[in-house]
Amino acid sequence: MSDRQTPHERLQPRVVAYWILADGFGAFVVTSLAWFVGRPLLAQHWDAWSPTLEQVLLGLCIGLVALATLTPPLTYARWRYAYVGDLLLMRYGILFVEERAVPVKRMQHIDLVRGPIERLFGLATLVVYTAGNEGSAFRVPGLKAGRAQELRDLIVQARGDGRL
Amino acid sequence: MTADSDPAPPGATADAAPTPPPDAAVLAKGHLHPAILLLRLLDALRQTAVPLLLGIAVNRWFLVLAIVLFVVHLGYSLARYLTLEYTLTAQELRVREGLLERQERRIPLDRIQDLGFESTILRRVLGLTVVLVETASGRGVEARLDALSRSDADHLREILLAARQQLVTVGPSAAPAGEPAATAPAPTPGPEWLVHRSTTSDLLLRGLTDLRLSAFVVTGFAALQLADQIGFAVQLKGVARSFRDWLAQFSPLLLALLLLAMLLAIVGLGVLTTTLGNLVQFHGFVLTLRGEVLQRRFGLLTTRQKTLPRARIQRVTIEQPWLRRLLGLAAVKADSAGASRSEGTDTTGGWDVVVPLARLPMADAVLPALLPGLERATFGWQRGSRRLILRTTAQGVLIAALLVPLCWQAMDQWALLLLLVVPLWALLGLLVWHNLGFALGQDFFALQHGVVGRYLAYVPTAKVQAVVVHQGPIAQLLGLAELTVYVAGGSPTRLPDLTLEDARRVAAELGHLASAAAALDW
Repeated sequence: MSDRQTPHERLQPRVVAYWILADGFGAFVVTSLAWFVGRPLLAQHWDAWSPTLEQVLLGLCIGLVALATLTPPLTYARWRYAYVGDLLLMRYGILFVEERAVPVKRMQHIDLVRGPIERLFGLATLVVYTAGNEGSAFRVPGLKAGRAQELRDLIVQARGDGRL
Repeated sequence: MTADSDPAPPGATADAAPTPPPDAAVLAKGHLHPAILLLRLLDALRQTAVPLLLGIAVNRWFLVLAIVLFVVHLGYSLARYLTLEYTLTAQELRVREGLLERQERRIPLDRIQDLGFESTILRRVLGLTVVLVETASGRGVEARLDALSRSDADHLREILLAARQQLVTVGPSAAPAGEPAATAPAPTPGPEWLVHRSTTSDLLLRGLTDLRLSAFVVTGFAALQLADQIGFAVQLKGVARSFRDWLAQFSPLLLALLLLAMLLAIVGLGVLTTTLGNLVQFHGFVLTLRGEVLQRRFGLLTTRQKTLPRARIQRVTIEQPWLRRLLGLAAVKADSAGASRSEGTDTTGGWDVVVPLARLPMADAVLPALLPGLERATFGWQRGSRRLILRTTAQGVLIAALLVPLCWQAMDQWALLLLLVVPLWALLGLLVWHNLGFALGQDFFALQHGVVGRYLAYVPTAKVQAVVVHQGPIAQLLGLAELTVYVAGGSPTRLPDLTLEDARRVAAELGHLASAAAALDW
C-alpha cells in the first residue's frame, strides 16, 4: 500500500533551545565538575597524571559539551510527526532512525507532560500509551502547548466512544 | 454494593439470564471451602516447627514464640477465610476480603483474559482447587481464590463462560469488522472437542530435547573462563592445585576417563531431572475446545486447568530449537494479553504452552483451532533482504577491527585468529537470511526466523497495537530496516533485515489493518 502518508509536521523550532538548555545543562555540570574539581584532585593524588592525560580530559569535556549542543538541531531536523486519519505517525533519530505508527483505536490513554523548563518555552510533550507490556509508551516532544492539546482532543474525539 | 442484600443461593440462575444490563443479578456467590483451614493448619504447624524444636531442645521461651506464631498465622488464615467472599454478576466478578483492611476487587467480565485452576496434591486429596483470574494488567494473576471445592470452581467457570459469551455477543460493541473470531459463537458452550493430547513419549522427548541444559553447561564453562581471565580464580587455584596433586597419582588415561565420566554424570543427571520435570509438569496434557474457549489440563502432582478464550490470543508461536528441528519436533505456545514472556522461556509454569511437543505436522494441524480462519488464509511468503549478509559481515569486520588491536599485546600474532569472526559472522548472516521470512495476509501476519532453529509466529492483524520501523547506522547505509510489531501480550515480534521499502509497506498495511479492526477486543 503506497498511499501511506509519510509524517510531514515538524516540531516547534523552540525545542532546539529547550533541548540545548536541558541537555546542555547536564553536560555543563558534568564537565565543569570534571575540569574544575576532578582535574586538581587527580593532579594532586595520582602520580601518573600527565599533561597528555589532561589534554585527553579537556578533549572529552569539549566533546561532551559539543555533543549536547550539536545534537538538538540535528534531532529537530529529523523529527517528523503526523496525525493522519486513524494513525499517529512519527519518524525520528539520527544514528538510529525509528518510524512509529500507532493506531488511534489501540490507544489506552494519553498524557500531556509539561516540565518546568518546557513550560517556560511554552512547549508540551504528548505521551500515548497502548496496551503492550514492553515499549507501550510513545512520545512526541516539542509541541506547542496549544497544538498538543488540540492533538489530544482530536485523538480523543476520533476514539469517540469515551473509552480513552 | 446493591447486590449484597440479594440473598441469591449459589448457582440459582446458571445460564438462564437473557437480560445482561441489570447489574444486580447475582449469578454465583460463595466463600472459600472450609477444608482450606486444614491446609492452613498444616502451614501454621510447619511455620512453627523450628521454634518448637528450639523450645524443646534449647530454651523454653521459644515455645512461647512458637505459640504466638501459630496463633497469629492461624488467626490470619481464619480471618481471611471468614471474610473472603466472591460474587459473580452478569457484568463483573467481585472479590471482597479483609477484616481490618477491607478490600473489594471488581473485575469486569469482558476484561478477564483467562481463568486458571491449579491444585497441588494435598488440595486434590481434599477436593480443592485454586482459581486464578488473569486480566491484561500485565501483572499476571489478578485475583486468586485459594481454594474452592472442585464443584464450586467448575460451576464458577461455567457461569463465567456463559456470562461472558452473552456479553460478547449481546454486549455494548458492534461485531468487530476484521475479527476472525466473529463466526457465529454458540450462545451456550457446546460440546468439548479434543484438539490435542500429549502422549508420554511426547513428553519424554520434550525433556530429552530440552536445550536449557546444554546452555547451562556452556554458560558454566564460559563463567569459568571469565573467572580465570579476571584473576578471580587465584583463590580457587590453591584448592585446584591440591586437587590436581591428588589427581596426579592416577595415570593420564584414567584421569581422562574419570573426567569424562564426571561430565557424563552431570549431563545425565541434568537430562534426567529435566525429563522427569517435564513428565511431572505436563503429564496427561489435553487441549480441548468448547465453543470459543480453549481449555488445557495437565500435571501429575499439581494439576492445572486453564481456559483461554480464542479471541484473546495475541500471538501463536511454533518453536523449534535446533535439536527439535533436526528431529522434526515442535512446541506450540500462545500468548494472551497479561502474561508476558520473552521468546524461548517458560515463565508462567507452562501456562502459555498449548502443545508441549509434537511432530511438526501435528503441531501445524493444531493451529486452526487456535486461530480460526488461519486454514483459509493464503500467505505470500517473502524473504528478507539478502543485504543482511552484508550487514552481519560488516558487523564482523567492526568487531574484528576492534578486537585484533586490543588483543595484539597479549597474544601477538595469535590475535589474527580473531579475524575468523568475519567469515563466521558472514555465515551467521547467511543462516539468518535462509530462515527469515514473512507473509502478510488479511487477517494474519506470519513471521519465521531463526539461526539454526526455527521460530514461526502468527499474529492476528486485529491485535496489533503499534508498528515500529527501526534503522541502525549500518542498516541505514545498506537501506535495511527492522520491523517491530507490538501486541498486548508477550514481547514484541521483531522482523529484522527487511529492505526499507518492504518494512514501510508492511508497517503501513499493518497499521491500517489494525485500525480497521474493532477497538473493543484485545
